[in-house]
Amino acid sequence: MLKLERRARICLLIAGILFLGMVFFTFKYVSEGGDWAGFYGNTQIYTAGEINRGEISDRHDNILLSCSKDGVKYNEDSDVRAGTIFAVGDTKGNISTGAINMWKSELIGYDLLNGTYDKSQGGKKLKLSIDAGASKVAYNSLNGREGFIGVFNYKTGEIMTLVNSPAIDPLGDIPQNPDSPVFFNTFMLGKLTPGSTFKLVTSVAAIRNMDTDAFSFKCDGINNFHGVNIRCTGNHGNVDFEEALVKSCNGAYGEISRTVGSKNLKAAAKDAGLMDSIDVDGIQAEKGSFDFPNNDDIELSWAGIGQHKDLINPCSMMVFMGAIANDGKAVKPTMIDKTNFFKKKKGGKIIGEYISPDIANKIKSMMKSTVEDNYGSSRFSGLDIYAKSGTAETGGKKSDSWFVGFLGDEAHPYAFVTWVKGGGTGYITAGEVANDTLQALVSNN
Amino acid sequence: MFDFIINLINNNYEILKHITTPLRWIFVVLAIYILVKAILSLLSTRATPEVWGYMYVEGGYNLPISHWENLIGRSSSSDLKIDNKSVSRNHAIMMRRKDGSWIIKDLSSKNGTVVNGTRLEQGKKYLINTGDEIVFGNVKCNLAAISFEESRNNEELRRMDREPMSPWKSLIAVTIFQILSILQLMIGMRNNFNQSSALSIIGISLLMWAYVIFFKKKGRKAFEMEIIAFFMSTISLLVTASASPTETFKQFIAICIGVFLLIVLCYFQRDLERTKTIRLTLIVLSIGLLLFNLIFGTAKFGATNWVSIGGMSLQPSELVKVAFILIGAGTLEELFRKNNLYQYMAFSAFCLLCLAIMRDFGTALIFFSTYLVVSYLRSGDFSRLILTGGAAGFFGLIVLRFMPYIADRFGAWRHVWEPEFVNGMGYQQTRTMSYGAGGGLLGLGGGNGGLKNIPAANTDLVFGYVMEEWGYIIAILLVLCIITLSLFAVNSIVAGRSTFYTIASCGAATMFMVQTMLNVFGSVDLFPLTGVTFPFISTGGTSMLASWAMLSYFKVSDMRKNASIAVTEEVEGYA
Repeated sequence: MLKLERRARICLLIAGILFLGMVFFTFKYVSEGGDWAGFYGNTQIYTAGEINRGEISDRHDNILLSCSKDGVKYNEDSDVRAGTIFAVGDTKGNISTGAINMWKSELIGYDLLNGTYDKSQGGKKLKLSIDAGASKVAYNSLNGREGFIGVFNYKTGEIMTLVNSPAIDPLGDIPQNPDSPVFFNTFMLGKLTPGSTFKLVTSVAAIRNMDTDAFSFKCDGINNFHGVNIRCTGNHGNVDFEEALVKSCNGAYGEISRTVGSKNLKAAAKDAGLMDSIDVDGIQAEKGSFDFPNNDDIELSWAGIGQHKDLINPCSMMVFMGAIANDGKAVKPTMIDKTNFFKKKKGGKIIGEYISPDIANKIKSMMKSTVEDNYGSSRFSGLDIYAKSGTAETGGKKSDSWFVGFLGDEAHPYAFVTWVKGGGTGYITAGEVANDTLQALVSNN
Repeated sequence: MFDFIINLINNNYEILKHITTPLRWIFVVLAIYILVKAILSLLSTRATPEVWGYMYVEGGYNLPISHWENLIGRSSSSDLKIDNKSVSRNHAIMMRRKDGSWIIKDLSSKNGTVVNGTRLEQGKKYLINTGDEIVFGNVKCNLAAISFEESRNNEELRRMDREPMSPWKSLIAVTIFQILSILQLMIGMRNNFNQSSALSIIGISLLMWAYVIFFKKKGRKAFEMEIIAFFMSTISLLVTASASPTETFKQFIAICIGVFLLIVLCYFQRDLERTKTIRLTLIVLSIGLLLFNLIFGTAKFGATNWVSIGGMSLQPSELVKVAFILIGAGTLEELFRKNNLYQYMAFSAFCLLCLAIMRDFGTALIFFSTYLVVSYLRSGDFSRLILTGGAAGFFGLIVLRFMPYIADRFGAWRHVWEPEFVNGMGYQQTRTMSYGAGGGLLGLGGGNGGLKNIPAANTDLVFGYVMEEWGYIIAILLVLCIITLSLFAVNSIVAGRSTFYTIASCGAATMFMVQTMLNVFGSVDLFPLTGVTFPFISTGGTSMLASWAMLSYFKVSDMRKNASIAVTEEVEGYA
């Protein structure tokens, strides 16, 4: 018998495997149960392949999508539908970053305790922080051109507008190919040449690492350096540090880049969060990538001007703009509206202090000067705007148009990033889209 | 009456459907109360071994003889350990007879055994009595009877063991669960719920009370295992009532037959000699059943493991499972005889061959793992175990090679969510996980599930079914019940009377656990899906009946005083 007592341990081993298997399953169940339950094969929450419960609204309770067993209903305005499609998502799951796909378990009312149990079968109301009215304005302003605008509140983190163009109307014609570019959320997942908007980052490196007060550069419009021309849009003449940004002088920024050097430029880009992926309630934005060669001054010059191999993610640029506006502190963007008053008062979650308050204020004032001295405040009537435009050379016929910045308005602390492909001069084309959108946001909120 | 209630529910559905919300809590609380109480009672069991006599060893110490079968020798795993160089590691075995006398057999020891001056011939059994002088090698021993006083002391000690839990409160809890579950199914299914399902659930309640009251009257005390089995069978009826209501009554009948089989097997196994001799009959019957299956079998989900007789369909391999355990068991004496093991090996090989022909891969795995464990328990030979395991692995590869369907299942394993498999080879698993997770911890309520539309939902995928309708907590508790039965079987070996019973209970434990593993892990993609039943839970008459029959092996191993219906207090031991 004693022999058997020992040998019977093999049964304990099997019991152990069964037990550990259940522990492992429980772990998977807890961590992935929401995704499992939200699977389209689950007829409790899908009717004819479409989700059958839950409601998505904007910050003003405008219904953007409501799902029931009778089918899916979108907002009745086709421009609102197209303008919010990248925030809301499509029922086929082509737009992977949309709320339907990202927060399906919230939408169907899944929680660990109750699963999908819902006696009313109505699902949950998912309130997004976006403003549908302003999204429509932004979409119309983009007017079918390839581009986007993202705006967020740099105090609370709420994303106010997230519009990519062109966009599908979920009730209109939808391309069959799931890889079609109209499903691609460039703002969250794209990587683009930043052009002159990157000079803001180079400026941070400059303030940190050189005597900017003593800086001066003589621009002749061609700026030949070791046989290579670093051309400007015009002959800027003698410029100091601030004038270099206001006039967006390539020659000056080429020299600044060479002075601060590869290591410091890289550090500035890293500190600005441009090499990290921003997390928006689980949506992982793309991260930027750069190359600051330390053995090639020409390439380094272009890298500091926002050309060469520079690629930024628009969402991370928006967060950086917010950091400049917010004394250097970057706030985590979110899109699920937390109606909690206390939370709104307290502000969003701070990801980190990207730059020191002094540097933030210095950059801020330079951006103000840029608007006043170069773009003209009249383009943005009534807005306390700080901005930098960019015109990125990407080999196309016409260069891509950037406009990034923020409002200083306490009641409307919005940071924004706008881009229009082939739009030409940044502050004119992209600036107009930004202005239209911000005007709508300020008047709606 | 039944129609009246259904109508009442239909007319007030909008209000009544809200009852499900609190009911879900009540079900979970009741299940936790019933099962956790039974589990704790079984796991806290510490049976004090019965003492049948003493071996007085020269030099002044007494070895208590606490089993019907005892190995005498120098090895540390001997039951009566005599630490002397002249004693072989496995020297002799001693077995108790019904009348209290003992039989001794020398195990080809180096220096031999001498009883009252007579040298024992190897392989022959000799009768010995108390007072006899036995010399192992050159160690003189005396067999001493247990005195009346000692006997009383032992009884006292055994009485001080933790008493089995009283069944009454649990029975009431199960009954409340059953009554409320009828209400829940009425709300969840409304017109789809049928009267025979309601009667079946009431029927199992009555059966449970009758069983416990009857055996309580007969002086038995422990009913934890039966309460677990009745609870699990109730869940089976609830799943069946929701998934295929017309089969519920059949399932209930299977439970009745199963309980009857349990009682018969328990009584039968009280006599070891009788149980030993039935094995040959069982081998013949099993071979017959399997051959019958091969000739007349019909295919279901790819495996030809069904036989239809006059409208009743039967799964012969489920019945063979029950026999397989008993055929594999052996007394201590038999464990030292090689031919007994060969007979078992040949029988196992035959079973596996038949199952391979039937393409019942899952059941073959269950048989094979049980065979491995049982043959290890018998021989203690790990190297052989590994060797057989390796051979089986090779065999398995060939099976995979020639059965593309099974290979496909392996191909989808751990990839079921990928687009390539999600609506193909991973169809059942992804649905099991999806609907199962949708149930949350508390479940959607009986009859409210959506998994029922997926093939084999109430058999192979039953774990997901229970998760969806009755919740994760209850589903997990069911698995814990299976684990508990197994731990109890292992725990009881200390007080076991014969290796025959302990091998049987450990074999049954292995079978239950492997079956549960294949069922649960297969349906949630931790293993490839092989399509086997969950003991006591899956819909299927033969499987239910076999589960109850197998429970007898656990009952036999329950050595708590006056506990089990399968153990007599009178000494019926060896003939």
